[in-house]
Amino acid sequence: MKNLLLEIHCEEIPARFLEPLSEEFAAAFQAWMKESLGADLAVERFHSPRKLAWRVTGIPQRQPDQREVQVGPPQRMCLDEQGAPTQTGLKFAEKWGVPFDQVLFEQPAGKKEPVAVATLVKAGRPTLELLAEVLPRLVTALHVPKAMRWGHSSFEFVRPIRNVVALFGEDVVPFELDGVKAGRTTLGHRLFHLDHPGPVPVASPEAYEAALEGAGVVASFEVRRERLAKELDRLAAEAGGRVVADAELLSTLALIVEVPRIIAGSFPADFLDLPKEVLVTSLKEHQKAFCVEDAQGALLPCFLTAANRADDPEGFLKSGNEWVLRARLYDARFFYAEDRKEPLSARMEKLKHLTFQRELGSYFDKTQRMMALSEAIAGALTLDGTDGKLAAQYAKCDLVTLMVGEFPELQGIMGGEYLKREGAHEKVWKAVKEHYRPDASDAPIPGTPLGGVVALADKLDTVAGCFSVGIIPTGSKDPLALRRAGAGIVRILFENGWNLNPLRAAALALEAIGERATKPRAETLAALEAFFRDRVAYQIEQAGYAAPVRRAALAAGWTDLVDLKARCEALAAFGDDPRFASLGQSAKRISNILKDETPSEDLDATVLQAPEEKALAERLPWLESNPGHASLLAGLADLAGPLEAFFTAVMVKCEDPALRAARLSLLFRLRKAFLRIADFSQWQ
Amino acid sequence: MHIQELILRLQRFWADRGCLIGQPYDLEKGAGTMNPLTFFGAVGPKPWNVAYVEPSRRPVDGRYGENPFRLYKHLQMQVLLKPSPARVQDLYIESLEALGIDMRKHDLRFEEDNWEAPTLGAWGVGWQVMLDGMEISQFTYFQQVGGMDCRPVSAELTYGIERICMFLGGLDNIYDITWGEVKTDDGIYPVSYREVRQREEYELSAFSFEHADLAFHWQCFEAFEKEAWRLLKDLGHYLSAYEQALKMSHTFNVLHARGAVSTTERPGIIKRIRDLTCACARAYVERESALPGQEGKEVQA
Repeated sequence: MKNLLLEIHCEEIPARFLEPLSEEFAAAFQAWMKESLGADLAVERFHSPRKLAWRVTGIPQRQPDQREVQVGPPQRMCLDEQGAPTQTGLKFAEKWGVPFDQVLFEQPAGKKEPVAVATLVKAGRPTLELLAEVLPRLVTALHVPKAMRWGHSSFEFVRPIRNVVALFGEDVVPFELDGVKAGRTTLGHRLFHLDHPGPVPVASPEAYEAALEGAGVVASFEVRRERLAKELDRLAAEAGGRVVADAELLSTLALIVEVPRIIAGSFPADFLDLPKEVLVTSLKEHQKAFCVEDAQGALLPCFLTAANRADDPEGFLKSGNEWVLRARLYDARFFYAEDRKEPLSARMEKLKHLTFQRELGSYFDKTQRMMALSEAIAGALTLDGTDGKLAAQYAKCDLVTLMVGEFPELQGIMGGEYLKREGAHEKVWKAVKEHYRPDASDAPIPGTPLGGVVALADKLDTVAGCFSVGIIPTGSKDPLALRRAGAGIVRILFENGWNLNPLRAAALALEAIGERATKPRAETLAALEAFFRDRVAYQIEQAGYAAPVRRAALAAGWTDLVDLKARCEALAAFGDDPRFASLGQSAKRISNILKDETPSEDLDATVLQAPEEKALAERLPWLESNPGHASLLAGLADLAGPLEAFFTAVMVKCEDPALRAARLSLLFRLRKAFLRIADFSQWQ
Repeated sequence: MHIQELILRLQRFWADRGCLIGQPYDLEKGAGTMNPLTFFGAVGPKPWNVAYVEPSRRPVDGRYGENPFRLYKHLQMQVLLKPSPARVQDLYIESLEALGIDMRKHDLRFEEDNWEAPTLGAWGVGWQVMLDGMEISQFTYFQQVGGMDCRPVSAELTYGIERICMFLGGLDNIYDITWGEVKTDDGIYPVSYREVRQREEYELSAFSFEHADLAFHWQCFEAFEKEAWRLLKDLGHYLSAYEQALKMSHTFNVLHARGAVSTTERPGIIKRIRDLTCACARAYVERESALPGQEGKEVQA
């Protein structure tokens, strides 16, 4: 058993690629070890701005011997009557390079007679030899999203490769990557090498972290992140506040430094009159810096960011970062002041020059449609339609402000902020502020009803509009994030408990789009139906309902989301009552029997004969009396037994036409009653 | 450090490392990359190292000489190294040391920043170089220029001269930078960036935001384009045609700053410029490969 270390040292690798590349190689190597060495071993991963490294402990030094069984001609052709080998027999042995006396005769399953069998043993190769082949192959096969070339080479990788360490125990694995020979020395922090020219030896795979730590690099991403988080908390407390948490930013910082260190700085307090969101975004986007807030959530005039060295001997890091931040905040204040020189609504004209989508027109056009749609949706939900129209009118105006031009992620937020300062009604500015929500699957939906309305109008217009001009997400292709918009629509309806059929709402949106549509309306509606059904299915899956519940509930209708939620709740409450399995069987039989039939709804109960069918008919009036989901379900569970009895005792498609018609009607009405809550034939 | 001292030191540094010292190209342009020394230099197989200062005009960044951090026209120090040397990052760091930046006292980071110049049919990958949190350079490995794959790949380093100067001096205002010193018989007069440039910033901002005549500029744009294709198609003259393309590019930037180009029109106009620059690059490569003795030319070690 030996340990393996592979480190690829590049020029600075983009932070966003480190994790995916690290994982992809680890998975590929793990799979290779399983297949080629029969070893199921964990892969330790390390990555820092210039390094991707992996370590595996306890790899066998030699591949296990490979056994291979070769089957040949029948025994009777290989041996003559005296039991001596024939020409054929000898040839078979020769072909596989085994002495004839090692050829066995066995009767494999499926064969009529014994045949010649030669077992070949291929000696396993030394692991070191295999590694020299597989390591460069797997590195070259990595999927690099934005690959590059450098110098004369046509080799492609994420950034130029400058050094490779490959140790198997004390041995170097002999291979090259684009002319760089694997060796036993690495490179440390640039600062370290100012005083220590020459490479850093790595004595063994186990000594990797220590060797790097000695050269100014913390190998593990997780360790760097943890140390940064601790430093952030400590320095924020020192400044008299707490960090405005941002897990994404913390991870990014840990990916762009080789040694974890936080720099605390301050900015002039008069910048605090900028909206909090502007400060937080500006600090994050421009300077990868955290804000610090007090117990009430008000920002303090200080910031925390990472530096790629352990100290700040002359205070240059602090003063440098402060200098840049002042320049950035100066710009933000310039944008904020410029933007407020005219009211937000004055931007409407400019929206005419901002294209939303080629066929669907400008953001001005979109705004007009959103206004009509917001009014209609608000009306349908018995909210104030006028407010909805007003909020929709302002919703997109901030897209042409300087601040949103600089920080696109502040869209909506700035519009709301400017309207608030202009003295707009709280309902309206909040709706504008929230209407991009939810912008991620775990982000909150708009917190106010009007915000929900405008968000629906915006997303419905986007989804229905794009579908109407043939932009429909397929596979991994969804450039306009329509799935996210669709999921947002469903979540807003679902979580608010709003009784609005998403398909009907999309049809309304299509009406507003009118002549701009390039695809036939029926085609668009069919595509929208499939699209929203998938979104709804995803939504109830996210809500945590079990698979049978989801399937059965969805199959009985999904456009009334309030009802769907109630039905799922009721079904989930019954959990795994075994009677539903039986009910499912019966429902399937009913479906099969009714497949090619068009029974009448009028049931002539008088012709029914068997007690089993009479019992069912007696239950019908109650089942059809709309008893509510929970009690209907209880009733249906009780029906499982009688239904089983019915199918055992009764042959539905009998000779007597009147009786047959009555039985079909009975089943037809039973199924209709079931379908009010679920399609039990989908229960499995 | 005076701005002229900074430029002189960088030129000295790169000349000593085997770069030709070029001169700014005497046409308005938005980036140093557009100088033919880089645009054509990056295309084709010939080894090529060049460094020069290029004034870069970005009409939309004009602030009438009032904003202490932004300029209509700023200076870029541009270095092109083809093929990209294996030690290119180290060379770059040494150039900073030549400016007196002691790496023992500062924090240097290379953060992903990919570069794209749609009007030049060019893109590359690289970094913005951050010194103590401030972006002081762009560092790019050209992957395509003029719509063609770069083989070999060049490394392009672009230093923001004013930025570095402000940073080294701890200044909060571009205009407080000292350009240099004028020495006369009567004495020594330090001259500020303000004296040399502020009025120019004011007038050029006013021009590109307010006074540029739209009809005239559109007319120019069309005329430059026509002229360029004539030169290229009839005569195969890619350099004079390329000049016309540069003029188109700057004219477009002025129109853009005047708010005369809608977002829908923009990609179409950029494409018209790109079609030209790419055609110029192709014409250049065709001519170069047709020249006798260019094929397999040995490079002296």
